[in-house]
Amino acid sequence: MSRELAHPLSSLERTDASIDVVRPVALSEETRPVERLDLEASLAKARGRIPPLWPLKHFVAVNPFLGLRGMPFARACAEMRRITGADMLMSRKDYRALVDQGRITESDLEQAIRVAQSMPGGPRDLAALRKPLESEPVYDASTAVTVAEVVDRAHGLRTELHAVEEIAKWCAAYWDEGQAAWRMPWRALSPYSAWRAAARLDRTPELMGFRGFRSVVASLPDDPVTTIESVVRSLGLSGPALDAYLYRALFNIRGWAAYARYLGWYAELDGKEDNTIIELLAIRLAWDSALFVRFEGEPLRAAWTVAVDSMAKIDSEVDHELLVDAIFQTAFEASFQRDLISKLLVADDEDVSGTASMRPSLQATFCIDVRSEVFRRALETVEPKAQTIGFAGFFGFPIEYVPIGQSSGTAQCPVLLQPKFVVRETVAATDEDERTEILGLRLLRRRASKAWKSFKSSAVSSFVYVETAGLAFAAKLVGDATGLTRTVTHPSAEGLDSRLLPRIGPEIEAGTLGGRATGFTLRERIDTAETMLRAMSLTESFARLVMLTGHGSTTVNNPHASGYDCGACGGNPGEANARVAATILNDPDVRVGLAERDIVIPNDTWFLGCLHDTTTDEIRIFDREQIPASHSADLRRLQGWLGQASALARAERALPLGVPASAEIDAAIVKRSRDWSQVRPEWGLAGNAAFIAAPRRRTRGIDLGGRVFLHDYDWRRDDGWSVLELILTAPMVVASWINLQYYGSTVNQQAFGSGNKVLHNVVGTLGVLEGNGGDLRVGLPMQTLHDGKRFVHEPLRLSVFVEAPPEQIDAILGKHEGARDLVDNGWVHLFALTGDGRCCLHRTEAGSWMKVGA
Amino acid sequence: MPILPLSIIVLAPMALFTVGLAPSGAADRRPKVMLGLARGAATVAFGVAFIAAAVLVITNADPTVRILPLGDVVGISIYYDALSAVMALLVSFVGMIVIAYSRSYLDGDPGQGRFVKWLCLTLAAVLTLIISGNLLQFTLAWVASSLCLHQLLVFYGDRRAARLAARKKFIASRLGDLSLVLAMVFVYSLFGTLDFATIFGASDQLRNGEGLPLSVHVVSVLLVIGAMLKSAQFPFHGWLTEVMETPTPVSALLHAGIINAGGFLILRLSDVISLSVPALEMLAVVGGFTALFGSVVMLTQTSIKVSLAWSTIAQMGFMMLQCGLGAFSAAALHIVAHSLYKAHAFLSSGSVIDLSRSSWVARPHGKPHPARLVLALVGAVALTWGVSLAFGASLTRAPGVFALGAIVVMGVTHLVANAIDERPSVFVVARGAGLAAAVAIAYFALQLGAEHMLAGSLPAKQALRGPIDLAIVALVIVLFGAVTVLQNTMPYRMSDPRWQALYVHLFNGLYVNAVTNRLVQRWWSIDPAPVAKGVKP
Repeated sequence: MSRELAHPLSSLERTDASIDVVRPVALSEETRPVERLDLEASLAKARGRIPPLWPLKHFVAVNPFLGLRGMPFARACAEMRRITGADMLMSRKDYRALVDQGRITESDLEQAIRVAQSMPGGPRDLAALRKPLESEPVYDASTAVTVAEVVDRAHGLRTELHAVEEIAKWCAAYWDEGQAAWRMPWRALSPYSAWRAAARLDRTPELMGFRGFRSVVASLPDDPVTTIESVVRSLGLSGPALDAYLYRALFNIRGWAAYARYLGWYAELDGKEDNTIIELLAIRLAWDSALFVRFEGEPLRAAWTVAVDSMAKIDSEVDHELLVDAIFQTAFEASFQRDLISKLLVADDEDVSGTASMRPSLQATFCIDVRSEVFRRALETVEPKAQTIGFAGFFGFPIEYVPIGQSSGTAQCPVLLQPKFVVRETVAATDEDERTEILGLRLLRRRASKAWKSFKSSAVSSFVYVETAGLAFAAKLVGDATGLTRTVTHPSAEGLDSRLLPRIGPEIEAGTLGGRATGFTLRERIDTAETMLRAMSLTESFARLVMLTGHGSTTVNNPHASGYDCGACGGNPGEANARVAATILNDPDVRVGLAERDIVIPNDTWFLGCLHDTTTDEIRIFDREQIPASHSADLRRLQGWLGQASALARAERALPLGVPASAEIDAAIVKRSRDWSQVRPEWGLAGNAAFIAAPRRRTRGIDLGGRVFLHDYDWRRDDGWSVLELILTAPMVVASWINLQYYGSTVNQQAFGSGNKVLHNVVGTLGVLEGNGGDLRVGLPMQTLHDGKRFVHEPLRLSVFVEAPPEQIDAILGKHEGARDLVDNGWVHLFALTGDGRCCLHRTEAGSWMKVGA
Repeated sequence: MPILPLSIIVLAPMALFTVGLAPSGAADRRPKVMLGLARGAATVAFGVAFIAAAVLVITNADPTVRILPLGDVVGISIYYDALSAVMALLVSFVGMIVIAYSRSYLDGDPGQGRFVKWLCLTLAAVLTLIISGNLLQFTLAWVASSLCLHQLLVFYGDRRAARLAARKKFIASRLGDLSLVLAMVFVYSLFGTLDFATIFGASDQLRNGEGLPLSVHVVSVLLVIGAMLKSAQFPFHGWLTEVMETPTPVSALLHAGIINAGGFLILRLSDVISLSVPALEMLAVVGGFTALFGSVVMLTQTSIKVSLAWSTIAQMGFMMLQCGLGAFSAAALHIVAHSLYKAHAFLSSGSVIDLSRSSWVARPHGKPHPARLVLALVGAVALTWGVSLAFGASLTRAPGVFALGAIVVMGVTHLVANAIDERPSVFVVARGAGLAAAVAIAYFALQLGAEHMLAGSLPAKQALRGPIDLAIVALVIVLFGAVTVLQNTMPYRMSDPRWQALYVHLFNGLYVNAVTNRLVQRWWSIDPAPVAKGVKP
């Protein structure tokens, strides 16, 4: 940006002399005016600090500390505390309790001290931890402030609360995805311009007592960055004080800021710059500027000068007490690792070689999701000759899945990727005429229901609606309360005849939709199939039936429903991806192409697209009518196994859900999935703590308690280490996002969680407010993590175990900054399984490998 | 002579009250037991309400049961007529649903037992109010329901916004109590009793006699004010849009069972209030304004629960307007239908994400047909007229009915106009017309049904009462019509600066809340005394 940036607020004096102008605050001598370049860098930093927030229709887990991953964990905790006041660790009391319970042992503490050696100033031995265990910590105070917060302190007011409330209210109207029938008229403008247009008319701030608010808004520059610059300049901010101030300002509206970052996410993935969040920052700073004008006077001036001076002194030195807490946290994780490693050692001693050479009776691929572990273990118990495999639940097919009648769909792939293929939903076994008719009917029904909805929700007609349709809700209340009816039709079934639903599925044949190519060419099919099979180390000994099992959840009336769906499918059920993959792998032409590339799939192997319902642990097999008759006996046997495995898995999950053991477990679990008042339909990924990339034989037969992401990987078959590279840069990163989402929401609900579900109020049909208003909430609700008495999720950073030569891991981390940051800065613990049965090497934060285990 | 079976209705509030007596601490320690008892009590309440209603229908019993009379003035007594029966069935039904919902919904909450306790007590108070046989008992139950509800509103008392909203509600409620108590004083001075049956009889004599005493108007206006405060009528609506700070079942109960107590007050005492034309006109004006104001503001709101709250304000306004126009049975129907609808809307508000995923726009879409509104209007008038004639309901019989009939036409017009959308298709228009016909038929059938069922409880529809009445009716038709037209043409006015300004002001609810919040906090702060501190370095 090269525009001349003179003195934007000097024009303010000319336009309206009556307004008390924001004048530069007298500052200490070393303060210099903000250079534009400086500001650009600060803005880039501020933007990067805020993690994105996905809307509820495909709510995926996000690492809440994404913006801090470039710094070591303990330093990030200190920075977060200094600037935002938010804690990223449990309280000392919690750690003390863990020590008292014996969960954290002395050897765990010693291990933690060894791991954290790179952190200067931390405790060096056990003796140094004794006192902190007995005394209450006194942490350094948070020092970053907004103008509103200084006003609040100086005048005993609640201006920051009002500012956040008003900005959030505006954001909801601007970004509303369909709640309001009468929408904000300026949605076509950029956020900052739209806000100014509204703020020049809105009397609320002045009625709250902020005189002259509209005049200040009117006099601000038109350009958001120029506004930021002028405000920052007049507030006398630069250098570290500026960075701290901007981060604080955004953090106080972190919900909407995160949504703004999401809106720019795909542009960022494309390498483009997106300024949405900067525009929001300009709005926030405009408030500060107006408040500075309103409360102009010696008390504020003096208070602000002091605040700026202390912000300028924010350094990266880590609070000693936080270092101690970080050691306790690491020790907590060491305790978990000790336990897990001892289990892995036992597994290694077992003789499992026999199963490897025989043809398995079944191969069943599941998502790496921790919930698959329970089911895989159950299935292996029921049928010991079955082989189960863990792989990202989108099966390497990054698709955009377009429902019947619509012109675009949602991305069914991890959010770190862009979808590569467009796949249409279609009805199987129909001719062109019938498809046209189904499509036409769905469109017409959609429009008719739109008219009815408008009748229901419009200003005058809603009175007539209530008097004619209201009484019918007596029956609906009874139906929904007993679980006989669903509150609303499931979106995927809306406008379609129920007899068609079993026949609906993805269309892989190449075609076009609204000018875009859909489906796959033969070449694309073969390429994607090969990549997928190699990535899951499945290139030989195929069974007669190979299940490709995606997963989804069944819940009713739950705003966060998609949070229980498959993260690898972008917060959608993984059905479409699994079916696409199975259909392609059953394609004879694809098999010929694969054979040419040395992957020979026997003629009697059939792939099944399946869906694991994580709420009820039912498995659904799709496209059964296409299964060759020769496999009908296999299918019958498979269904028997699946039925038993489902019952086993449900029994295991029933206890933590509080379903009494005496009850009819199966019925009780299904009932929960249909209960409109159920706030804990399942425990989701609560408990997740580790990620293991190794052949299944390293973990088979161990009860991992549904806490481990399992990715099948055999380094001996990995030519050129490309699969290892993929695992460390994609599944490991996604797993750590999920892990840190749970971690953050557990250690600090207020800052990183979305609060109490019973107060949730869906805003703009995209996110939740807790209660009446305020900022958009991020992260997971309390009920997802806590059963009322205790946290079901234990906040543990992810322990990653990869069976691969350490030097290859080092080489890949050397190439990829994102993955290296996670490992070297302590956001995950990385272990190399050495494969000789003697367990592991632990990569320290300094980058060396340390032997652990027996 | 009391008829024994009817008096079993006292078991309805008593069962819930008994459960509600459990101390909070004990309730919280045994939430499962508490829930079991509460569900049992709610079922008993519903069952008893049903049995008593059956007794009423079968034996055609005298609605008055004086259980413990204190002279002719007050005492413990019951008035269980068709209106009370309908309301008792409604409230106990919603209570059953809401208590059942709270079982999974608040599972694990340390205050679940206490929550259920206050749900029971609130329900008991509302049921007592509904079956009260005299105005003193009614007033006591009225105050009790508000105080019990207050405990639910501050269930999460550490939430500042919860305290602020509850504080505003508290102020409005106490003003409402005051006007009801004053009304009671005047009722006593006018009729010499507080017993409902006696009052109703005396009112009929007044209606047939010559010249009304001034105190009839005073009483009626005070009752109207009390009702408006209870039912969140403008400008006392602010608290209702802010009480989402408490679990969803409370919102469901509040919007389905408590907010309409104001309407019930009007209906219960409609024999008295209908004597006073000024009181009715006041109801019509304030109710009509609140209806339009609430429903237009609702259009601009961005969160589901706040949107629903504005919708309730509007619906309560419409119900008051119906009372003001003398269409009491329509108002009673409106209360019941709205309660059921709104209870479901709140309890299912989490499904709005599913709804939004289903509400994609069918492409391609073009410009709407310019004449669609006219077409729709012609169709709607013909349809409504035809159906109303078929039901023998003449729109010209009474002015109130005429105005309400016009609003039905507008609603149906809106439905048909939206069916004739961008690309008129036979299917959509036919479906729209089919729905419109169903709406018209259902509307008149239900109206006639309600009128017939409640004939014994409510005054008959009234003829035109003077020029002000005529003006009100005309104004209602013009304004409701204007809003319908504006809403249908709204998308094309977005760039008009006046329209933009109107959007901002309505989005903020005409700033009533901003002002009241400031006033409330200035005069009765909900925060600990503010301490002006220096900034620590």
